[in-house]
Parts: sequence; structure tokens; C-alpha cells
Amino acid sequence: MSSKAEIIARVKQHIKEKHDMPTIEINAIQYADKIAQFKSILQTTGGEAIELQPDENLNELIRAHFTEAKNIASNLPEISLATINPDETADPHSLNQIDLAIVRGEIGVAENACVWVPQLMKERVICFIAEYLVILLNKQDIVNNMHEAYAQLNFHNAAFGVFISGPSKTADIEQALVVGAHGAKGLLVVLV
Amino acid sequence: MSTKHTKAADRFIANKAQETWHNQTLHFVRDKRDKVAMQLPEWEELRDTAHQIKMHTITHLDQYLEEFSTQAEANGVRVHWAKDAEEHNRIVYTILHSHHVKKLVKSKSMLTEECHLNPYLIERGIQVVESDLGERILQLMDQAPSHIVMPAIHLKRQEVGKLFEEKLQTEKDNSDPTYLTRAARAHLREEFLTADAAMTGANFGVAATGDIVVCTNEGNADMGTSLSPLHIVSMGMEKLVPDLKSLAVFTRLLARSATGQPVTAYTSHYRKPREGGEMHLVIVDNGRSDTLANSEHIQTLKCIRCGACMNTCPVYRRSGGYSYTYFIPGPIGINLGMLRSPEEYSDNVSACSLCYSCNNVCPVKIDLADQIYRWRQKLDSFGKADPMKKIMSVGMEFMFKRPTLFRAGLKMAPMLNYMPRPFVYNGLNDWGKGRELPRFASSSFASLWQKGKVTGAKQKHTDHE
Repeated sequence: MSSKAEIIARVKQHIKEKHDMPTIEINAIQYADKIAQFKSILQTTGGEAIELQPDENLNELIRAHFTEAKNIASNLPEISLATINPDETADPHSLNQIDLAIVRGEIGVAENACVWVPQLMKERVICFIAEYLVILLNKQDIVNNMHEAYAQLNFHNAAFGVFISGPSKTADIEQALVVGAHGAKGLLVVLV
Repeated sequence: MSTKHTKAADRFIANKAQETWHNQTLHFVRDKRDKVAMQLPEWEELRDTAHQIKMHTITHLDQYLEEFSTQAEANGVRVHWAKDAEEHNRIVYTILHSHHVKKLVKSKSMLTEECHLNPYLIERGIQVVESDLGERILQLMDQAPSHIVMPAIHLKRQEVGKLFEEKLQTEKDNSDPTYLTRAARAHLREEFLTADAAMTGANFGVAATGDIVVCTNEGNADMGTSLSPLHIVSMGMEKLVPDLKSLAVFTRLLARSATGQPVTAYTSHYRKPREGGEMHLVIVDNGRSDTLANSEHIQTLKCIRCGACMNTCPVYRRSGGYSYTYFIPGPIGINLGMLRSPEEYSDNVSACSLCYSCNNVCPVKIDLADQIYRWRQKLDSFGKADPMKKIMSVGMEFMFKRPTLFRAGLKMAPMLNYMPRPFVYNGLNDWGKGRELPRFASSSFASLWQKGKVTGAKQKHTDHE
């Protein structure tokens, strides 16, 4: 008998009393101003959210925030300041020197400042390896909580997807918070 | 009453400053947890639902394991099954060996600690690099984690500074956490870039979609798995949830309970292998199926490894993770250790004041303290009862069954107040070690009652008449 068959047989044999699946109907938190809540929580994580104003140019806005960024990776057609298209790299290791990556997020979550980023690029490593990360998010796509987020989650048949909330961080040395452990040292969410 | 835990705790509290820092820091995390939990009016509803989802999943685990593995395989993931730690390690090594892997980067996984995977691989010539900062510090020190979420919580910044001076050539006497973290970032970046394979644990497995969900703040799991062509996941089989709708409940509870954050920085869903790469999943039993049959301890299988029970535990906070003999400390560790081997890990069951705080913070409502109490009742059957306590119990039983003797003893008790210290505080009196005994009252409650001197109660008594 294979290990799988043995394990499943043991599990089956050992279950005594079966418990029903509950109906998941959480009376979950709602926010009067989801955008304000999202911004405020993102700030506590060390990130920042700004709204693109009608008279502002997206590329100029990003450039103004990251004046020193040289190697900029993005596969988004509207990002003209990109210097590298991660879809055209043969080896993800070559993306190590990226200063800034710009990706699109699909859902924002007001309760915890998560942004759903499905892997709509060949090399997902740009979300982690870049020194700084920018996520573009439609402000209409901010929901109240994780229940709402998962209810409308689209995986796009991708290999991977991630909820990102703020920059990479650690508190492993004496519980002192340090932003920028392995991943991005800063996160800017541009609400469009 | 001296257990391995009490002896090790003695060593921990000998450094008073460290003990105080440890206690206060963990309680601060507990306070943060309370604050974020209270921001959600539905917090208790979430805990109840999480408990129910887990009870349902583990009592239908055969079905969910089938569904999950079928789905993962349909996604292109290669699924392996391990009955025990030995089989798990063998599978992982075989995969690495067949891919000629020289260097493996790992993100934090308590399961691989449980299986002692690292030494197994290192003995066979594979370089293993832990990539979580806390885990990496401990690996460089050749130490084990003292907490499941904050593995290096027992260390001071100066100790890390000294270690990095030696291992990473950082500046002398610089123990600034930001400086040290940046040094580790540069060092580990190099390791990520040169690794041949990446390994992660799993916080959740989603049966309906086959997703492996990993939560980190550092992004180390994602760095490793996004660069390397080979990803191996090690997952305890109790980690399953039925679907994404269920997962939503747990993503709201995990980080709030663990560190008092609304969520971790990254909640990653691994569904398929990287383009041109391979993804392997090892589903591990290693005693979990036995726990399913144990109705008194089945609830340990609900655990999502958040560590909230440790942060709140007054004994853990003041004795440190290394005082426990099982690799997982605190209330959940006491129980998991006893399930592993009561003969080997019974020293830990005394590390509990039965204050029940752990039950009250556990996000999936595991009956942690009740279980510890149950283990204590069974110590004698494992041959692990304390001989002194056994003598005391026999003596007390004898006395309590004989009211005349009991009353006579009670009358004489106040004499203890006037005894010379060595008669009362000696090796035979464990209750007098490290604390002062209360003074016996000159007159017992029973005698006051009989004389009508217990006024409140007497009043009630009269009313009734």
C-alpha cells in the first residue's frame, strides 16, 4: 500500500465524531470611508497611498516620488518610465539590480491595507527583489474586509498571487521594527 | 517537584534584567493583539467560526486530503506523502539529490524543525540556509527557536551584533537593529541569488483550489521561491481549509493573534510551479492521524501556530522557550509534546498555572489549559507523578476522610506561625520555596460559623428560616 493510501486509511479509521461545516456569514466590519481607512492602515505598515489627481500625470507622479530610481521594471503599457520589461528577461536573477518595480493590484482591502496582486508578469520576483515597489490600484476596487476580497478574487489562471500589505519588514532583533528585510524597502500605492 | 522545566527556568530567571525584558516584551505583543482584536466587533464570531471550520475539516480530513491533492496535481504540483519524519526527510532529500541541489534556502517551517530536516540534509552534503532573519541568526549560533513566531526573542541586540561581527564582518560594537538587518539583507540576498532550490512551510492548504498559502513579513519565502526553479513545500496535513471563503476567516485571525498586526506584509498563494520549474508538496502525518482518534486532545489539530498562547502565558513569559523540553514551548507545546511522547516530555506539564489565559486568546479556541489539566491527572499512569506529591495526596486523603482528625489538625495549625523557620521552611516544604506562607488564622472558618460570627452568611440563614 502506498503511503498516501495508508495515511488516508488511518485518517478515515481514526475519525470518530464528524462535525458539520458552519455557514460562514460573518457580520464583518464596514467602513464609511474605505479609501481613508485603507490609507490610514497602510501608513501604519510603513507604506503610503496617494490618489492620482485628474490633472496629474501618472509617470510624472511616480518619478517625483523616486527621483533617484534608475532601473525601473514594469510590464504595464501605461508606464513609460520603465527601463526593463520583466516579461522579456530570460533569467529572474538578472533582475537583482532593480530600483523600482511597478505592478497592478486588483483589490484593496480597507481593514488591513492588503492589495491583491496576481502574477500577471513572467517573473513575479520583481514584486520582492526591487528596492521599492509601486502598486497601481483603482480606488473603486477597495473593499471592506477579507471576506469581500476573497469573494471577488480573480486568479487569472496564474501560478501565483499575493496580498501585499506594506513594505517588507522584520522585528526579529529585540522586537525593534525594521522596514526592508528582504523585499521592498518602501511601498507606494497609487490610487487611480 | 523539581522538573526539567523548573530547573531550566531557574537558570533563565537568574538573569533578572533579561527575564523582565522577556516578560514585558511578550506582554506588549499580547497587548497589541488585544488592541487589534477589539477593533473588530466580530472578533468572537470569527473565533467561533474558525473553530467550527477546523473541527469540520479535521473530522473530514480524508475527503479534504483527496480533494486537495487531486487539485494540486491538476495544477501541476507533484504531491508526496510522508507517514513520519523519516519518510519526510527521505523524500525531500531524494528530490534535492535528483536535481543536483547544492544549496537550499528555506523560509520558516516548524514542521521541518519537528522532522529534524536540516541536520539530515547537512549530513548528506546539502548546504541549508535559513532565510527568516530570526532563524538565520539562530542557525549561525547553532541554536533552536525559543518561540514559534519570534524565534530569537530570547536574544539581545548586543548578542546579535557580536555574532554578525564574527560571521558577517559587520562593524565592531554596532548593534543597531536597522544596521544589523541591512547587513543580513545583503548577506541573504547573495544566498537567494545562488540557491538551487527553495523550501517553505505552509500556513494553509486550500482544498478546493490546491493553493499553498504562506504568510511572512519579510518576504523571504517569496524571494526564495521566485528565483529558484525548484520549490518544495512541507505541510502538516492538519493545515487544510476547505476553500477560499474559509481561508478569509483565518487570514483575519492569524497575524492579529500572532503579532498584533492586522495582517502580515505578504499572504502568498502558490498554486502552480514557476514557468519551466517544479513544485513539490510533501504532506506529512507524523502522528497527526493518531491525534484524530484522541478525543481529549483532538483540538490540538486546529492549531494555526500563531503563538498567542505563548505571549499570554505567565509561565512562558517568565521562563523562556528553552525551559521547555519539547521544541514547541508554551501551552500548545506542552500538549503537542505530550502527544509525541508522554514519557519523554512530561516535565513540561507543570509549566502552567491553569490561569486559562491561553484558552481565551487562542484564535481557534483550543482547550489548551483543560488539556494540560487532563495530562496532569494521568501523570501517574505514565510513571511520572512526583513522589512527594503522591505521599502528600495519600496523607491528605487519610485526613480528609476523618473529620475528627482534620478538626484537631486545624486547631493546632496556628502553632506553625510560632515555629522556628527551619521547621517550616525546609527541603520538605516545596510551597515554602521562593515564597512566604500565609499565616494561619487563630480561629478556623468552621468554628467562626458555629459561633455565629460569620455575619453575612448568618443573615441569609436567618432569612431563610
